[in-house]
Amino acid sequence: MNPYVLTILLSSLGLGTILTFASSHWLLAWMGLEINTLAIIPIMAQQSHPRAIEATTKYFLTQATAAAMILFASTTNAWLVGEWEIHQLSHPLATTTVMLALALKLGLAPVHFWLPEVLQGLELTTGLILSTWQKLAPFALMIQVAPTINSSLLIAMGLLSTLVGGWGGLNQTQLRKILAYSSIAHLGWMVLILQYAPSLTLLSLFLYIIMTSSAFLTLKTNNSLTINTLATSWTKSPTLAALTALVLLSLGGLPPLSGFMPKWLILQELTKQGLPLSATLAAMTALLSLYFYLRLCYAMTLTIYPNTLTATAPWRLNFTLITLPLSIITILALGLLPLTPAVTTLLTL
Amino acid sequence: MTPVHFSFTSAFILGLMGLAFHRTHLLSALLCLEGMMLSLFIALSLWALQMEAIGYSVAPMLLLAFSACEASAGLALLVATARTHGTDRLQSLNLLQC
Repeated sequence: MNPYVLTILLSSLGLGTILTFASSHWLLAWMGLEINTLAIIPIMAQQSHPRAIEATTKYFLTQATAAAMILFASTTNAWLVGEWEIHQLSHPLATTTVMLALALKLGLAPVHFWLPEVLQGLELTTGLILSTWQKLAPFALMIQVAPTINSSLLIAMGLLSTLVGGWGGLNQTQLRKILAYSSIAHLGWMVLILQYAPSLTLLSLFLYIIMTSSAFLTLKTNNSLTINTLATSWTKSPTLAALTALVLLSLGGLPPLSGFMPKWLILQELTKQGLPLSATLAAMTALLSLYFYLRLCYAMTLTIYPNTLTATAPWRLNFTLITLPLSIITILALGLLPLTPAVTTLLTL
Repeated sequence: MTPVHFSFTSAFILGLMGLAFHRTHLLSALLCLEGMMLSLFIALSLWALQMEAIGYSVAPMLLLAFSACEASAGLALLVATARTHGTDRLQSLNLLQC
């Protein structure tokens, strides 16, 4: 793609999200979301093979529907209550519609079906943008409207997301689909805690972005799209293979790694709020997610796949990728757990 | 619920139902989206008229501009789908299913 065009697209991608962050009026927030969608569509469709075009079409249809529903809900609220502010969304019909539309935009459980298919059709860098930066603007809106939403809807959606995210990923061999289901599961955890401790939602989103970026950058470095190519990646870079296993376990939320921090704090907060059943169910469904992360780790580091000699000995080419972002973000994805006391003090939990 | 409110709400919901349940052609999906946006245009402009809020009469124009951009992106994707899949039937968009 022409670098000037790419610059314009990327800057309007940033502009859309920042416009949504900064707005207090629903129309402006909707404009930010639209700019965001319109800016990423050419980036998604830049390789014009059938899968990319199909993914772009599906993404466009879902995002346009969700944005129209958001604007419809806020217009209804303006007709009924006479208020355009984002904080003052008060009519129950409008709040439920907005929540469903934001769930469609993010890919939460009852309306998640587009996310694995879209992510499967994209290349890894675009998939990284889609699963990190594109989540920020809907989350900014969701945190602002959260206090007025029906709490049983939020809890049901969160639990269903964690369940579906764990369950759907069990049968996949494509890494991008596995990452899409992991994204659904993590978003479920964030929505679960949304009404009780919004700062924990932000912390969880931040750590999810770090871990997912690390996973996507690793896959980009290894140039691997399926479990099989991941299983032979130790021949290219053994250190990265060992660290990738740890990053995957961090995504699964195992204790000495930083992915454990949001799960720990969320379970603690849910128990404090008197919701032990929801906490138990969420912890149980995290086991389903852990199963497929563990399968990836097993394929990468714990076993040697019965491949032919030509598959295990790929050409050793000079590394031309810039690996500084990968190394920084991998360190962050592995070692942030000791910061938990500082984080809890800063968030004043 | 006033008659105006009822009419634009039912227009929007009809468009949404068409988009969600009538899944044969991509073009009809795009038309349903455009119908939803037009019902929102009517809602916004009538709101500005009814509340006599002069400052808000810009909002329907902005909405129309953005929905035109969105429709053009949708038509571009329609052309791209016709070139890669050979048809605009939504049934043929099945390469990425699980």
